[in-house]
Amino acid sequence: MEKDRKETTELGLIGHLMRRAGFGATLQELEAYQAKGYEATVEELIHPEDAPEWNDDLVRRYQPDQNSIMYFESAQAYWMYRMINSKRPLEEKIALFWHGLFATAYGKLNHAKGVVNQTDTFRRHGLGTFHDILTELSKDPAMIFWLDNKDNHKDAPNENYGRELLELFSMGIGNYTEADVKSCARAFTGWTIANQDYMSVRAARDSIWPSGRIDWQFEYKPEDHDETEKEFLGRTGNFNGEDVIDIVAMRPATSWFIAGKLYAYFVSDTSNEEATAFLAEEYRKSGGDIRSMLRALFLSDYFKSEDVWYAKIKSPTELVVGTARLAGSYQTPQWDITNLASDANFMGQEILNPPTVEGWHTGTEWVDTGTLVERVNSTALVIGDALQPGVRDMIQRLKDRQDTYQPDELVDACLLLSGGLEVSHGTHQRLVEFAANWGEVSFTPEDAVACSEQRVVELLQVVLATREYQMA
Amino acid sequence: MTTTKTFTYSHTIGFLAATGRGFTNPVDLAINSQGVIYVLNRAGPETPIRLPSKRVTMCNLNEDWFGDFGVGGTGDGEFWWPSSIAIDSQDRVYVSDEGLQRISVFDKDGTFLSKWGEKGSGAGQLEYPSSLAFDAEDNLYLADSGNHRVQKFTSDGRFISAWGQRGSDPGQFEGPWGLALAGSGNVYISDWGNDRIQRYATDGRLIEEFPALPEGQAIHRPAGLTVDDDGNIYVADWGNERVKIIGPDGSLLASLRGESVDSKWAADYFEANPEEGRLRYEADLVPELDPPARRDREISAGVESYFWGPTAVKLDGQGRLYVADSLRHRLQVYQSN
Repeated sequence: MEKDRKETTELGLIGHLMRRAGFGATLQELEAYQAKGYEATVEELIHPEDAPEWNDDLVRRYQPDQNSIMYFESAQAYWMYRMINSKRPLEEKIALFWHGLFATAYGKLNHAKGVVNQTDTFRRHGLGTFHDILTELSKDPAMIFWLDNKDNHKDAPNENYGRELLELFSMGIGNYTEADVKSCARAFTGWTIANQDYMSVRAARDSIWPSGRIDWQFEYKPEDHDETEKEFLGRTGNFNGEDVIDIVAMRPATSWFIAGKLYAYFVSDTSNEEATAFLAEEYRKSGGDIRSMLRALFLSDYFKSEDVWYAKIKSPTELVVGTARLAGSYQTPQWDITNLASDANFMGQEILNPPTVEGWHTGTEWVDTGTLVERVNSTALVIGDALQPGVRDMIQRLKDRQDTYQPDELVDACLLLSGGLEVSHGTHQRLVEFAANWGEVSFTPEDAVACSEQRVVELLQVVLATREYQMA
Repeated sequence: MTTTKTFTYSHTIGFLAATGRGFTNPVDLAINSQGVIYVLNRAGPETPIRLPSKRVTMCNLNEDWFGDFGVGGTGDGEFWWPSSIAIDSQDRVYVSDEGLQRISVFDKDGTFLSKWGEKGSGAGQLEYPSSLAFDAEDNLYLADSGNHRVQKFTSDGRFISAWGQRGSDPGQFEGPWGLALAGSGNVYISDWGNDRIQRYATDGRLIEEFPALPEGQAIHRPAGLTVDDDGNIYVADWGNERVKIIGPDGSLLASLRGESVDSKWAADYFEANPEEGRLRYEADLVPELDPPARRDREISAGVESYFWGPTAVKLDGQGRLYVADSLRHRLQVYQSN
């Protein structure tokens, strides 16, 4: 497991890529990516359709509540399973990105599967053009419900969706007028859901669905669409929603807006004007193609620079999912998967139920004295289960490498096994001091194995509590 | 020779209720000598607020409700992942549990009598026991799904025999789900992970593997099944959201998609809440999906009358077919010719 400097750098860069474009990686996965090379790995990540889709048959068989996704807890758990087991990490990561940006909350909808279906839209279209993403979003029943477009009528416009489309979902404030908001709303009149009256009563009073919930369907009602002329962003015409999206997607402000959001999510919470301009230009050149933008980003020095490694605090979802993937947990149906979602909730990120339409406040706001304790306890619990297949693999690799470890050797090996984690000199010193309490750890003779395995697990728990592991 | 069979939708029993009169994810049913239907509600997730939904509901064909028994938990008479229900010649009720790896026994009124079983792969041990059926001598056959085998017990849990192992060859299994005994004494198994049905003698000798149906008709991830006196097989085609009837020669006799309308219990509710009822009856709950859904399960999620997650099928000896429509919280009843 010892690497020369060049290999360590390559492994470190791929580890950085996987923490940002995925949920981290095991050492085995990192080595497989390393064998392919960095650029090939980027290409593989941005083409998730080439990897097999997660087969959810077992989960749906043994946990029928996650087959129908009737309850909020089931919805959260189902997405946890998918993020943990997906062979398409960027597909899940980009779904999480759009979920944070187009923040739609279960709390108002009372329809858990509706929100889950929206994440599926993000999977299908999340790496396509921003134009298509906005089109799908505007037809998404959960969004139509969330921002009241079902109440946006020809004779009584509701501006909620039209306003947020311009302010929070595309150009950003300062790039349009109040008149544009009104025109935008009028353009989306008639974009609603089927059986709106019955579904609205059901959402407001979650009493009796005799046969369980029914998937919402988009419906366009031409008789409720405002066919009159509208002025929008300096243009005049009988605009419908598609026309508005055509105009919005072409605006430089939109390219800048999306570039900034992608940079903040994948690279750094500290804005970088030069990098944002680079990404905005890629948006313009590619017609707003998110896949092209991410390829350019991941291959750029803005992303690769070691200055941005471990510079972002992992979101609660990234932390719990990444740790479960590392430990190999929840690969088969487990009733306590809901606890994992609860852990993320307690850390401040209730997936599928963001606090407002603005999504979550990220960065340093993820961590306070309370959530830090949750973060450490949750990771310690998951990685502390020596029966989990990922933990077994780590122990086996240690045993295969050598029989006996000095404290510094054991620390280095466990850092490498924890997704190629690189830590500061100070952190390393503390870890070695911790391991030195046991002296030498040996996997021989046979009666020493159980004790040594326990020490490895305890050291892994401390490794995952380090500042560096809590960062992405 | 293939016999022509027609099936006419009769009515629906039950509706969604977290506790009391109603069902929550009914995964199996059994009918005793008095015509009492025992409906096993798996429910979930396993959070404190949802555990009371795990129960056995007792009712009859006319939707008379006789109460329920059991609750989510790990104590005697409680359920975690209840999977199958069967009734012996004395009208005792047996429930298998894939979470607790055990069989619980109740009297006909739901009073807990006993339990047996433990987790493991040894003779008589259990790993996700998914399906139960009694033979005429009250021996209990069990699809031991996680161990990819069939086990045979006495009704008080003494191990008699076992057969099968994991694999896709004839005589092997991949997570078998359904198990049924025919009047002939043969044992039919729906081999879930291998998308096939196999027929065995009671000593475990493989008699036949039914040939795969043509493309477009083939079963996918079959769940519970049953067999009539003519050797016709009724299988919950879980992966295709259908119920299929297959003749003794392996040909497809019928494929049902589900056509439920509201049950009496649901109608009672909407009669008491007329404004909700009016909106419901004005709504189109059998819509054409736009855009068309990619998978049958997504179509089922959007069309209320269709089967969604059918897990078990049972016959009552009077030509009626009962389907446990697990994600729609109801039984759909069909009448055959």
